[in-house]
Amino acid sequence: MTSFIDFNKLFELLRYQPDDPLVFSTALFLILFTFFMILYTLFIKNNSFRLGLIIFFSIYFYYKSAGYYASILLVSAAVNFYFGKWISATENFSYKKLILIISLIVNLGLLSYFKYTNFVIDIINGIGEGNIEPLDIFLPIGISFYTFKALTYVFDIYYDTLKPTNSFRDFALYLFFFPNLLAGPIDRAADFLPQINKEPFITKKELGLAVFLISIGLIKKVVIADYISLNFVDRIFDFPLRYTGIENLLAIYGYTLQIYCDFSGYSDMAIGVALLMGFRLMENFNYPFKATSIADFWRRWHISLSRWLLDYLFRPLQMKYRNLRVFGNMIGIFVTFLLCGLWHGAGWNFIYWGALHGFMMSFSLLIQKPKIRLLKLLRIENTKFLRFFQTLITFHLIALTFTVFRSYDMQTVYDMLSQIIEFFHAEVFIQFVEKMPLITGLMVLGFLFHFLPSKLFDYSATIIAKLPLAGKILILTVAIWLAAQFKSADIQPFIYFQF
Amino acid sequence: MISPELKQVILKQLNLDDFDIKDETTAPEVPGWDSLNHINIILAIEEHFKVKFKSYELLRLKCVGDLQKLLDSKLTKQ
Repeated sequence: MTSFIDFNKLFELLRYQPDDPLVFSTALFLILFTFFMILYTLFIKNNSFRLGLIIFFSIYFYYKSAGYYASILLVSAAVNFYFGKWISATENFSYKKLILIISLIVNLGLLSYFKYTNFVIDIINGIGEGNIEPLDIFLPIGISFYTFKALTYVFDIYYDTLKPTNSFRDFALYLFFFPNLLAGPIDRAADFLPQINKEPFITKKELGLAVFLISIGLIKKVVIADYISLNFVDRIFDFPLRYTGIENLLAIYGYTLQIYCDFSGYSDMAIGVALLMGFRLMENFNYPFKATSIADFWRRWHISLSRWLLDYLFRPLQMKYRNLRVFGNMIGIFVTFLLCGLWHGAGWNFIYWGALHGFMMSFSLLIQKPKIRLLKLLRIENTKFLRFFQTLITFHLIALTFTVFRSYDMQTVYDMLSQIIEFFHAEVFIQFVEKMPLITGLMVLGFLFHFLPSKLFDYSATIIAKLPLAGKILILTVAIWLAAQFKSADIQPFIYFQF
Repeated sequence: MISPELKQVILKQLNLDDFDIKDETTAPEVPGWDSLNHINIILAIEEHFKVKFKSYELLRLKCVGDLQKLLDSKLTKQ
């Protein structure tokens, strides 16, 4: 007897596959999430079932992406839940501090083992010309994100700004929550825990916003980021010397747009998916290329990480070195961004990238006063003209740092820059546009939409909110259809998954 | 209540003529009181009142009211 459903195939599809995480932009996620939402909505009044369902789905979601390494997540939840309780129950300040240090050693030790062991072995081999074999270590996806999530809980209890929860279920739900499990936003326990036991409620406006965010996130990721990366950016970064300076420059712009669309597209979808379930996650991007300085960029780019670093790393450093005044701030910023680079991955490119950001911001602190005086002297303070140039310069500095970020060896950066300086050939631009109209169009559209007033996006979400349900479904369907047209045969992982 | 003396030290450091600082006021609400300027304000308070705060005590502050309480506790200990 033949069956209509090949159960073996179905089982294979549903089980863990290496390098095939359950990303929001896959058909499998769409189908599973639809079933999940039907059950979720049916049992919305039954709190225990509803929360149990989120935990179950989240564990499956993580198992599908990390296999049996999903157990690390369970260990992290158990350990941090008890660290929180322990710190809160301890009266003596020195003991409190000791428990915090143990918690940091456990959390960061686990993260470092998976992430940095082979990098350290590499460095040791390089220094001593030794021959230590690299270990066969699998990096559990999303570990940097959920480790930082868990630490917000421990830190806030330590600083006495959060009371520990008595419910392990609630804490596990916070840590496992599948929308922001793999690549953030790194929401604070203090903001998330109070939402858990409230009956989910989503306003009409929020429903419109959720549909808008999921649709726009999907388009950003699949239509813009994946398409320009596979068909243009990767080729140039792989062999920069084969192309003219103008093509190298366009590839740098292209990668800057790609990483923004890739990561902010994921965040948009995460925030939208969570919102459909009645959870409000924190904002993660706010038009970063509109920034007028590097510091302003970090207030707009990966906001959940930059606020984490500000509160739990920069502020303690700044307070420790406060007697050094401006130099205290400079040391704090430089160390924070150096570690921010290292958080992104075990590679010199990430460390250089962090160091560049740290250096630029520290340096700008040093020249802040003479800069203000000069701007006043030139009478261009607070003018549109100045804002335009500041934005333009900031964008190019950011693009340059992302070139370092993307290049595994600095020779690529050198080659790209030398092509731009010595072999520019501006006339090739016309051929480029004629040969690659779609790439040009997507890049123009991507940047154009980014620089349009943000009100336009709020307005679009409001219009979607006013549409009947069928209209909202139509918008989502169009976005999915559009993504399907651009989708390549292979699944393109999100850039930030590797961190 | 924020003491006029503490308010004056903060306003002077921020080059502000006046600003309504209440117990529940947080740093970002006050013009110029950003994460970088924060250490200048803390140092100005330490110097003016001749007190010394611990980093931990400063990191848990949520609003100006908390800062006032911390300062009061230091002053009564002296």
